[in-house]
Amino acid sequence: MGTQLRLRSTKILLINLGAIGSEVVKNLVLGGINSLEIMDSSKLKEEDFSSQFFLPDKPENIGKLKVPLVIDQIKDLNNRVNLTINTATFESVFDYEDRANDYLSNFDLIIATEMPKAFMIQLNSYTRKLNIPLYVAGMHGMFGYVLLDLIKHTSVVTKDMGNQPRRPNTKINSNKLISDVSYDEKEKKENITIIDTYKPISEMFSSKELPNQLNRRQLKRLSAAFPLIFTLFDVEKPVYIEDSLDVDMLREKASLVCEKHDIPTAVITDEYLNFFSRQAFTEFAPVAALIGGCLAQDVIQYLSKKESPINNCLIVDTIRSEMPIYVL
Amino acid sequence: MVGAGGIGCELLKNLVLSHVGEIHIVDLDSITLSNLNRQFLFRQKDIDKSKSLTVAEAVEAFNYLNVKLVPHHGNIMDSDLFPVSWWSEFSYVFNALDNLEARRYVNQICLYLKKPLMESGTTGYDGQVQPIYPYVSECFDCQPKATPKSFPVCTIRSTPSQPVHCITWAKEFLFAQIFDETSTNDQSEADRANQRRKLESETEDKAEIENMLRENDEFNELRNIVKSKTSTKDSNFFEVLVNKIFSTDIERLLRIDSLWKSRRKPTPLRIESYTKALKELSAERSAKDIVVDETRVWSVLENLFVLQAASSALHERLASSESFISFDKDDDDTLNFVVASANIRAFIFGIELKSKFDIKQIAGNIIPAIATTNAIIAGFSCLAYLNYFNQITSSDSFHKAFSSSSTIFTSIRPNKYITSAALIEPSKKCPSCSHARGILRFSPEDLNNMTLEGLIQLIRDHYGFDDDISVILGKSKLIYDYDLEDNLQKKLTEINGFKAGETLLIQDESDALENLELYIDTNTSGKTLFPTLKLKEKQMDNDGENKDEDMPEQGEVISLDDDEVVELDEPVETRKRGKESLDGSSKKAKL
Ligand SMILES: [Zn+2]
Repeated sequence: MGTQLRLRSTKILLINLGAIGSEVVKNLVLGGINSLEIMDSSKLKEEDFSSQFFLPDKPENIGKLKVPLVIDQIKDLNNRVNLTINTATFESVFDYEDRANDYLSNFDLIIATEMPKAFMIQLNSYTRKLNIPLYVAGMHGMFGYVLLDLIKHTSVVTKDMGNQPRRPNTKINSNKLISDVSYDEKEKKENITIIDTYKPISEMFSSKELPNQLNRRQLKRLSAAFPLIFTLFDVEKPVYIEDSLDVDMLREKASLVCEKHDIPTAVITDEYLNFFSRQAFTEFAPVAALIGGCLAQDVIQYLSKKESPINNCLIVDTIRSEMPIYVL
Repeated sequence: MVGAGGIGCELLKNLVLSHVGEIHIVDLDSITLSNLNRQFLFRQKDIDKSKSLTVAEAVEAFNYLNVKLVPHHGNIMDSDLFPVSWWSEFSYVFNALDNLEARRYVNQICLYLKKPLMESGTTGYDGQVQPIYPYVSECFDCQPKATPKSFPVCTIRSTPSQPVHCITWAKEFLFAQIFDETSTNDQSEADRANQRRKLESETEDKAEIENMLRENDEFNELRNIVKSKTSTKDSNFFEVLVNKIFSTDIERLLRIDSLWKSRRKPTPLRIESYTKALKELSAERSAKDIVVDETRVWSVLENLFVLQAASSALHERLASSESFISFDKDDDDTLNFVVASANIRAFIFGIELKSKFDIKQIAGNIIPAIATTNAIIAGFSCLAYLNYFNQITSSDSFHKAFSSSSTIFTSIRPNKYITSAALIEPSKKCPSCSHARGILRFSPEDLNNMTLEGLIQLIRDHYGFDDDISVILGKSKLIYDYDLEDNLQKKLTEINGFKAGETLLIQDESDALENLELYIDTNTSGKTLFPTLKLKEKQMDNDGENKDEDMPEQGEVISLDDDEVVELDEPVETRKRGKESLDGSSKKAKL
């Protein structure tokens, strides 16, 4: 099946249509995704207007359910797209296993954005059992993340031949394995079969894999974005988004995160603590564009089976202009 | 923001949401159907409308912060439409262009005016942003660029002379028209009128335009045949196709005398003379091996056979499951169709035929733009701009921004998504920023009355040139050197082409001082003003060379000690790319 056809026949569920969600929807629809459901029970808030470009420019809508307000704008991107919405709350569906399984099994791929950690883990336990690939993404101002549990995925990547042929049974990293290579001598190409295996997202929170993939120097200059993003998974989102988080509380929790992941606590800097204290849970349009661009691109590549997807944690740090991918 | 295409749409969205004060959008293009699937601000109903006007209107839907938007439909290189006074109003310039000439031009203007410029470009999954701080960081011209390959429509449609013209025709035109999604079936009168207007902008030959329009109608008929669900066995699709594209269309072209005055005429293919042989070949068992013989150039008969097989396979696919088929060099039916039809066309026009292998390379090189790459690059472009504005201090903001900005490439690896590299200083050999530049503002009186001799004397006085200089007007018109004194007594206005918006290049033939480029402008309110510039002594080439080859010490790319992780990518290439990223020459790929 061709990539375009596969995109067309894939049913995607997007949970939460925030800044990243809007970008993802736009990119997927442009990219040829034909069938999409958006699940979002949130009401329109004032801060949504800073970065969610599907919203009609009407402040009087504040307080109303958000998704019904944007559906026309999204359909307008491509009138052939089969777009549905679901405004049920997360709990009303996912607190009941039967209901959750019934609902989720309608989809071939799930993307969840801005999810509290407990929901994320709960959702992931369903997607694992149902064998549905899951992308999770979120942002904090100038920073963001994408976590992936695509369970197991095989792709065939075509690359130019190098000096040394690639060999079957070579590990690219602990979760990526070259299982087979065929050589096209005439075109000087190699067709590399790569098997990606993933772990449940819940295990990423206690992963000690980083020291195995970064050398001492890399560990030392690791950006504080990673531990601080992981710290915020365990911090309640403030009611007023402009409220800064307590820097000392952040520092303390972030140190624990560093210890848990076996990375030096010295990577936590005051500069980054201040960024995260001020920007936690805030949405920022150009950063959403980056994350939404990478996420949608990875989804399309995943469906094409011609590129090996991200495995398993992408961190976005726009202060340092870094986007490392860690195997947690 | 120059360019309202793939990157431009995304960038404009980001800037509007980031609450920029006022944005001017310039683009000379109109929206085509193929734009719709990667440029999210355009809709079906916008086809043939101006890109700049349409995007400005479209972002109003989410212009929550009331950013002021001013669209301009026009060519950015038109100095009457966009004089230097217009340029000087901006505090920042974004290039979101796909054409080399315009990017160069904007780069030059930004050098004249010392405006910060954000360069961006994408090719497939590769993308790049490069902030340019004139004379502080590398400019767009500091690294040589490869000329992009694009051909006039008329060469492709009517007068091919190289194999690549035939391949482009087969892939971008023939195949796309018949099988791909990017074609409308029912054309309204308005569509036709627009199409006509478009063709008229490319050729003045009325007969040729009529011919192309008629061809289009007939392609719609062909498309209807393949789309109809009749069994492929009963279909006469192949016969109709071959007759049309290799006989009728060619005969029609031959009737346009103007095309063949100085060109070799094509010879229409007489399909009748192949029918019997084609039948015999089809009956042979070995015939199916032709398509796998990729390195041998097939005969015309073999090409016809392959075309027949590919046409029927594609027809079958459309009749059964697929609603359209896009060209993909790895989809053998599509490739075979393009190879065979390109070769038969080449035969008709007396052009060399190519092997399937060669054609696959050529056809595969035309890389499509990808919406997500544009989105990512536009995100970085906006962020780099915001970073610049956070850095500005009263003075020396370019130097401050220089050390805090980076060139960013998307290069997806198992352990990172992007590569960023520190900016580097301008190349001493750069044809654009290695010499002094400034704006020469003439009072209307001086512009009308001054002689060239008078101007040259003033230039010498201002900048300390000795006697031996040459002056070039515009791109290449020499108006003065020691051998050419004819113009000296002429008034400036009497020199053909001497006007505001043009440039003067003053070269010191004794090689003591660096070259000086002056942009001619008028100063309606007052005296003639020469730019205040201190010309440097000319650098010897050798100095520049050594500097350029030094690898900068800073930057991510060198620390590419990704160990085993690099394994996925071909190691040598990775390193090379890393180096290229630093010296910027990988920009070539982005054009
Ligand atoms: Zn330069």
